[in-house]
Amino acid sequence: MTDALTSAAPVDIYTYFIVALLPLSACMLIFQVNPYHALVLRGILGAIAALVYAVLGAADVALTEALMGTMLAITLYAVAVRSSLVLRLGVINQLADRPGDQPLEPLLAELRTIFGRRHHLRLELVPYPDRAALHQGLMAKEVHVTCVVPSLELAQDSSASPASLPVSAQITYQTTTRLKYLYEIMQAELSTAKTQLSYLDIAKEVQS
Amino acid sequence: MTLILIAMILALLIPIYEACKDEDIWQKMLALASIATKTAMMSLFISVLRDDWMIGVVAVIILSVGNAGLMLLAHVIRRMHEA
Repeated sequence: MTDALTSAAPVDIYTYFIVALLPLSACMLIFQVNPYHALVLRGILGAIAALVYAVLGAADVALTEALMGTMLAITLYAVAVRSSLVLRLGVINQLADRPGDQPLEPLLAELRTIFGRRHHLRLELVPYPDRAALHQGLMAKEVHVTCVVPSLELAQDSSASPASLPVSAQITYQTTTRLKYLYEIMQAELSTAKTQLSYLDIAKEVQS
Repeated sequence: MTLILIAMILALLIPIYEACKDEDIWQKMLALASIATKTAMMSLFISVLRDDWMIGVVAVIILSVGNAGLMLLAHVIRRMHEA
């Protein structure tokens, strides 16, 4: 036993350099904030770890790291990140597929900037036929945020009371969310001149 | 031979710096492809240096499988950018 330990081959000088790459790439991975960039860095860490294990003589560990640790883990995490980091925005059907003029486009672009660039969330549009179905979807927790354009609805719906027209004409978008932290983010970062934000507490709504 | 390996390690530091610095995700993917191939080639070189066939076979498998993982990840990221 002692002979086997003492007669081990002397460690080459390049081994120290290769092993030093491992904490370097691990630090890069730890300090990355964007989840997608972190996935790519996890691939880099896996490649370097496989090299270190192979150099140190553990060929089986290197193979497992490359196949399971890097390829499978990255694929599963990519699916998990893609399906969980999403903001579902409920809109009324006619607004979403109106050809040519897109009344929602400025708000969508701003939401994509706020949530896509800074908070790494993907924006997904969920169309609903009318306002009642939109509210139902928000109450059933199918969507996180709903957005309607009151002035457009009033122009289409002649039965609306004419008294409310001047007030709602100033507000271009009416945005409702059921999540407190989304409301706080939007209140802090959305330019509120054209958007009326509101927070809907579902627990209270159900009780009343 | 050690000098050649140290030169390879220095060449490996270039894409690591690129992955650390660049904000574009496709540049990071390029750096990942570069690093995956470079590390596999270094394993192959070491296997020849030590006359160790076991490391050589593992290096060949890593060289082929690393590119498959890269393509899977690139596909998911491309789908995300389209959505």
